[in-house]
Amino acid sequence: MKHRASIFVEEAAILSHEACPGEQYILRLQAPRTAARARAGAFVHLQCDALLPMRRPLSIMRADAGAGWIELLYRVVGAGTRRLAQRRPGERLSVLGPIGRPFTLHDSHPRPLLIGGGVGIPPMIFLAQEIHQKNHRKLPGRTQPWHPLLLAGSETPFPFKPRPSQILIPSLPPEVIAAIPLMEDWGIPSRLASGQGFPGCHDGYVTELARLWLAALDETALAEVEIFACGPHPMLAACARLAREFGRPCQVSLEEFMACAVGGCAGCTVAVRTPRGPAMQRVCVDGPVFDAETVFR
Amino acid sequence: MTETRDGKAASDMLAVDFCGMDFATPLVLLSGCVGFGEEYTRVAGFSNRDVGAVCLKGTTLEPRLGNPPHRVCETPMGMLNAIGLQNPGVRHVVEEILPGLDFSETRFIANVSGSTVEEYAEVTRIFDDSPIDAIEINISCPNVKEGGVAFGNDPDMSARVVEVCRAATRKPLITKLSPNQTDIAENARRCIEAGTDAFAVINTLMGMAIDIESRTPVIGNNQGGLSGPAIKPVALLKVHQVYQVCRGHGIPIIGQGGVASAEDALEFLIAGASAVGVGTALFYDPLVCPRINEGIRAYLQRHGLSEVGQLTGTLVLND
Repeated sequence: MKHRASIFVEEAAILSHEACPGEQYILRLQAPRTAARARAGAFVHLQCDALLPMRRPLSIMRADAGAGWIELLYRVVGAGTRRLAQRRPGERLSVLGPIGRPFTLHDSHPRPLLIGGGVGIPPMIFLAQEIHQKNHRKLPGRTQPWHPLLLAGSETPFPFKPRPSQILIPSLPPEVIAAIPLMEDWGIPSRLASGQGFPGCHDGYVTELARLWLAALDETALAEVEIFACGPHPMLAACARLAREFGRPCQVSLEEFMACAVGGCAGCTVAVRTPRGPAMQRVCVDGPVFDAETVFR
Repeated sequence: MTETRDGKAASDMLAVDFCGMDFATPLVLLSGCVGFGEEYTRVAGFSNRDVGAVCLKGTTLEPRLGNPPHRVCETPMGMLNAIGLQNPGVRHVVEEILPGLDFSETRFIANVSGSTVEEYAEVTRIFDDSPIDAIEINISCPNVKEGGVAFGNDPDMSARVVEVCRAATRKPLITKLSPNQTDIAENARRCIEAGTDAFAVINTLMGMAIDIESRTPVIGNNQGGLSGPAIKPVALLKVHQVYQVCRGHGIPIIGQGGVASAEDALEFLIAGASAVGVGTALFYDPLVCPRINEGIRAYLQRHGLSEVGQLTGTLVLND
């Protein structure tokens, strides 16, 4: 079987564990085998605490294959993440990963629109990293082939300090200038949205920004767009509607309560449409990335 | 390879003859935890060779989509599940999945379910005409509206299901008993009369978890089956009770429910099990089986025993 031995169990040392506003944490783990194989959209299944009988799935925000680390961003939402938040640098956590079907970039669609909501932002950072690396590997003298835009929305404070963007996006309102610092460093345009009145952010839904941007593209540019989204279910549904309205392909990353995370228990399924009719597919190994049309139509 | 005092190779110490099947170790991966036998091989270091047998996902005559989400949730030292027997139907399993399994790795056991007695018989008959090593009758699934535990809680119906399955196959027949019944020993007696070759004890306990904010059950099916360390004491008592019925008939038991360590497995063997099921523990530690094997082997050596079967039913009750 081609999938054999594609997921690793690693006793990963915590390299850093940074508390951010809104009970959010950035966790960096030394997990070289996972880091070497991780792709944007993949996740890890973590032992948070010896007293909890189940692991917790967390998406990967960044990976450095050379240095052998992975970085996760999570918000405290229950018993598992609450206990995870108490773990200190130097301690070890059992990591099962990397798991799942990742996002797929298509050369025919070099204008990826990345939309992240809340704790759905991390996979979008990872996808932006992959795009940045693709652009970075370009031959000298060539123009950058990929033109991504990352839009992120959150109702809790962002887990980074937004920075006024130096990258102009003419089709978006000029007062919407808050951007993700890492994206600025990478030269990737990004903008933020929130209903909480955070400075420089769009006052509303992230998908409203997406609509403005899509509507301003000419036909040639629009044909180069593919949408990638991760976030709360209503946001993903809105992304799917947007994709349909503009006739663009859309990949969404889903989450569901999970037990085994390797395809054994069928505990994390979602209803999808397939050419052979309705089916229940596993978020862990059939996803977590799905074609939005199969999930939301 | 290390040898014991009577010269038996350490690897053979764990071998078990279960209804004529040669189990390499007493461990059995439980139905519903490992899909159709290949899923866990995704994990580097995992091998089906580390267990005596693998029970495949519960299978019905026609495909089933299963229950709506959420299908699983954590509870104190355990978890609830209500998958609802999602499976592609027995014909697909026999024609498309079994040919892909490597039968040199371990013994593969089908798990048969149905909403009528006739369906149990038909699914069993189709598996009988396949390379599957044995058939487990699931009369204890708590997560379907028809069949399942509704049959398993009624000794007459349990016996009736075993009888028709017995008539449909000559392969070893294992009856998976429910803990959700008044007298599991009486049910076991009836199933032995009806022709079962072995028992799996126990299936999950029925339970519920409630989201206090929405005041709704967490599980989409409202109720589910409880597994994990939380149910181990219940399972041990049930194995002990069923063993009292089985010992005179030479009927072996797969003891299961919350096994996560060698010590857990040893408790089940001492209580009367000939083999030990591992399920929920895999979710926490996919590589738990080789560790359990190693711990059992060390125990046998420490106690001067040459094979694991010598432990079965060695429980000494207090006066």
